[in-house]
Amino acid sequence: MNNPQPNYFQLIYRIIITMIGVWFLSIVWPFISDVVLMLVFAFLFTTVLLSSVDALERKIGNRGLSVLAVVVILLGGIGTFIGSFISQMSQQAMEFSNRIDKETLTKEFATLGERFTSALPGFIQNMQPSNSDMAGKLSELINTVVGSLASMAGAIGNFMFIAAMVFIFTIILLAEYHGFRKSLVNAIPNKYFEVGLKLIFNIEKSVSSYLRGQFLSAASVAGMSVAGLLLLNLFGANLTLTFFIGIIAGLANLIPLIGPFVGMIPAILIAFMNNIGSEAAMAHMLFGVIPSPFFILDIVLMFLIVQQIEGNLITPALVGKSVGLHPMIVMIALLIGGTILGPLGMLFAVPATGVLKVILTEVAFVRRNAHLL
Amino acid sequence: MKSAKWENIFKGWNRSESDTVLTLKQVPVFKDFSDKEFSELEKLIHHRSYSNGDYIFKNRAPGEGMYIIMHGSVKITIGTRANNENVLAELGEGDFFGELALFDDEPRSANAIATSDADLLGFFTQDLMTLQERNPVLGQKILFNLGGVLGDRLRGTNSLLIKAQSSDAD
Repeated sequence: MNNPQPNYFQLIYRIIITMIGVWFLSIVWPFISDVVLMLVFAFLFTTVLLSSVDALERKIGNRGLSVLAVVVILLGGIGTFIGSFISQMSQQAMEFSNRIDKETLTKEFATLGERFTSALPGFIQNMQPSNSDMAGKLSELINTVVGSLASMAGAIGNFMFIAAMVFIFTIILLAEYHGFRKSLVNAIPNKYFEVGLKLIFNIEKSVSSYLRGQFLSAASVAGMSVAGLLLLNLFGANLTLTFFIGIIAGLANLIPLIGPFVGMIPAILIAFMNNIGSEAAMAHMLFGVIPSPFFILDIVLMFLIVQQIEGNLITPALVGKSVGLHPMIVMIALLIGGTILGPLGMLFAVPATGVLKVILTEVAFVRRNAHLL
Repeated sequence: MKSAKWENIFKGWNRSESDTVLTLKQVPVFKDFSDKEFSELEKLIHHRSYSNGDYIFKNRAPGEGMYIIMHGSVKITIGTRANNENVLAELGEGDFFGELALFDDEPRSANAIATSDADLLGFFTQDLMTLQERNPVLGQKILFNLGGVLGDRLRGTNSLLIKAQSSDAD
């Protein structure tokens, strides 16, 4: 009986082709990475908005108008949110600047530094710079921030361009999604047709259930943050714009690991702006033991609790199950994504791993059933 | 007034669209559908072309959905070689097959082979699930009609069984 000999030539040929492919991709990647990123974002936005456009199209019978209506409503919502946040924030800032002059601000910072230093153990106190140094360092920091505003403007311009392109791609994808999908399905050879169709469906299902899980998780973070901030107000934290802060915390939560900390920043800023000059707020102690000027530690603790509830109860239930990945794999995917693409890589790591899992499952299925196809 | 030039340009599109709907209208699974529902269904239906002798699917292959013959003919067989091939049915335009796969994850129970160049319409489990999500009323209608089709087939099988038993008794 003849044993089938492994085809080494074919194996070597495949390895060489793969290596050439990887080399070619590494050469062209810097030129196409932005476009790929835009298309990925556009695909994600399309997945989120598609069911609304489809539902509206069924009602009014016109795809173009449905896309237009959904986009206008969405942009209106985002515009209203950003506009009213900016107007309320600037009103808050004006009240703050009317209330506080430069001397008071420097004095408050000096007191804050003093209280912070006195709360530290003795050996660390000796290592701290003096209060006057601290105020000086703060003004240096402010100067640096102002200096880097020019480079920030460039980054904002680049961001606006990418956002506009993503917006255009999303509109085109929303209008033509079913046509594109059909073209893709039509391109599958008859032999692999049913498997290919199942693969496309499973990828869509994996991405959309991941996004649904993420949005539910973000909504729960927003809700819990608002509730937490209102609770802190009961203890005299004097926090305003709680609704906006909650939504920002929820949205920031979409970026794994660093997102929850980003959500704290506006809350701390508002606490500082609202309470500066108040002796009671400056002398506030967390649980009556730990000094927490302007309720800053209370806010940090509240967000940590929200993060723990979200990370240990809500996300595993909503997001982990939606992509069917082991928590260990999720962590590894996040680390690899973060190393390659930073926060953006972390944002895409879990759905990309979910899609990869779907593809590998179907490839294994095809290999097992090749004789039946 | 209609322009002949524009009619010629769009003739292919309209014909293909109406051909699909005309074929779908012959299928009992889609009976009592309104024009709007047919146009919704048409968006999900897949067009596939097969050459004479091509397998549409093989016995024991995983099944994902049903096919409707728009043009051409298809035979349903059991057995893989020419000498032991048992033809269960010869199907023509407007006939459909493979609908059991819409309900279960069981593998195909027979081969389907094109006996001429054939154009088929495919409707799959994923499409039914998408429809169920997007338009539950239409999804329910298809499931109800499919139940009717399967009931008819079961009645047919029962009467064949009764006939076979009575001929055995004679």
